[in-house]
Amino acid sequence: MNAIELSSLSKFYGNQCGIESVSFAVKKGEIFGFIGPNGAGKSTTIRTLLGLLTATSGKAEILGMDTSNEGARIRERIGYLPSEVDYYSEMSSKELLLYHAAIYKVADAEKKIQELATYFQLELDRPIDDLSYGNKKKCAIIQSVLHDPEVLILDEPTGGLDPLMQNRFFELLERQNKKGVTIFFSSHVLSEIQRMCDRAAIIRDGKITAVEDISTLLSKQMKMVRLVTTSVNNIVLPVGALNHHQSGQKHTFDYVGPTQDLVIWLSSQSIIDVTLSEPDLERIFMNYYQS
Amino acid sequence: MNSVIFKKELKRNRKNTAIWTAIVVVFTALILSIFPSFSEMGEEMAKLMSSLPEEYAKALGMDEETWSSIIGYYGTYYGIYIILLIGIFTASTGATIIGKEERDGTAEFLLTRPISRGSIVWTKLMALGTLFIIIYGIQTLSAVIGLLIFGEDVNWPVFTTMHVHGFFLVGFFTASGVLMSSFLSSKLNYMGPVVGLIFGGYFLNAISMAVEKVSWLGYFSPYHYLNLTAKNGVLELNLITCLGASVVVAVFLWISNKRYLSRDIVG
Repeated sequence: MNAIELSSLSKFYGNQCGIESVSFAVKKGEIFGFIGPNGAGKSTTIRTLLGLLTATSGKAEILGMDTSNEGARIRERIGYLPSEVDYYSEMSSKELLLYHAAIYKVADAEKKIQELATYFQLELDRPIDDLSYGNKKKCAIIQSVLHDPEVLILDEPTGGLDPLMQNRFFELLERQNKKGVTIFFSSHVLSEIQRMCDRAAIIRDGKITAVEDISTLLSKQMKMVRLVTTSVNNIVLPVGALNHHQSGQKHTFDYVGPTQDLVIWLSSQSIIDVTLSEPDLERIFMNYYQS
Repeated sequence: MNSVIFKKELKRNRKNTAIWTAIVVVFTALILSIFPSFSEMGEEMAKLMSSLPEEYAKALGMDEETWSSIIGYYGTYYGIYIILLIGIFTASTGATIIGKEERDGTAEFLLTRPISRGSIVWTKLMALGTLFIIIYGIQTLSAVIGLLIFGEDVNWPVFTTMHVHGFFLVGFFTASGVLMSSFLSSKLNYMGPVVGLIFGGYFLNAISMAVEKVSWLGYFSPYHYLNLTAKNGVLELNLITCLGASVVVAVFLWISNKRYLSRDIVG
């Protein structure tokens, strides 16, 4: 059974397209990535799934229930971590989390909140308005898992978190997933998707352009190569090289293909220096589809 | 109705409600406490009244009874100030009790809890109704106490009718505030439209009473249908208008609910 299933889901704001004919399925127990540049339609898809937006057409189901008419029952069993965290400014983190726990009727709420707050180093008694964006995000993370949801929907979850907290968050997700929680992980950071997900859907301009296993994506994944050779002579580029530019001894090109092949090719060159980096998403998308 | 959200709404609005309630109670106490001084100057006040332009006195709902009986005096101030104050509080709270969640970005948090939108809207409206009853009930109680302390031979049937009419009048303003917010942008400051609605209604009625030529303007004012001042010691309860006002309030809230159920929370 699929935990999440979208069939030709569309959302238009008047004539403006938010998402169009979005279809994919997330299996139960899977960590599924949802990746695309800012403004591609990730949040619109999530907000439509959650019933914050009314779909123009198409259908979405979570845990076998239709999101258009069983929203409240669905939300009993899911946790949602929003990208932008706006909470009641008059409350402290603890009050907000207790409020959340009261709505979900969470047993031992105070104890659970304290454990998670300690884990994420969140000061519970400070007013939400006084918290930094990162601390608000920690509060949002805690509320998303406090009621032991079966499905976690995460929208740009790591924004504002420092690397240590990001690691703790990923560990928490791994523990949740081991317990059988399905995770829908939306992000524009490719490395996060690579680390966490089994499969991913790529969205661009409101349309799904691919649903792939991460291993397949990785095999097609692009590296940006900058190298300085010992001479100004032309070099024979490896298979999978794109957009090559040369300026004297300096070469830059994008590479799409197995990393091992690139390393073998590099070892055959006379090189002074080499830098391999992850290009921005727009570049990856462009080359991904070209290749 | 969701009891967790209901309690939170009451808690969230308690400070504002306490402030506004204190204002109307102090105002009620003040106006009633100075009545004995006015009544002692009965003849002088009657002279002063007769020197006022007739249209002006009519517009303010003043007549001989304003100075000769405590209920006539109270009714004048009740219609002008107390209804306006309570109306501004309940209508502005009605306008913001749902819209504020959108404006502050907290609607996303609330609407992603396991509660239907309908339940959230009705819970908030129930909380609004409770706040309305609290302020209205306490003001009525303070008026009863004030009348008992400062008045003699209080015409209680007139007082009761006045407060029943006032209740429906404020109910109408409150529902109008809720309806207004369901149509207007959540980013708008609702205080202006709310004050405009209440003062507009009051002045339309005042002008219609003062100037016969434009008496038809009164039909556009809720004050015209729910009279708050006694004539010759009589103020009859207008049950049909009260029933009509209840229907209008129910329709306003139903339309608002429909609007909120289908509203996109863009974020």
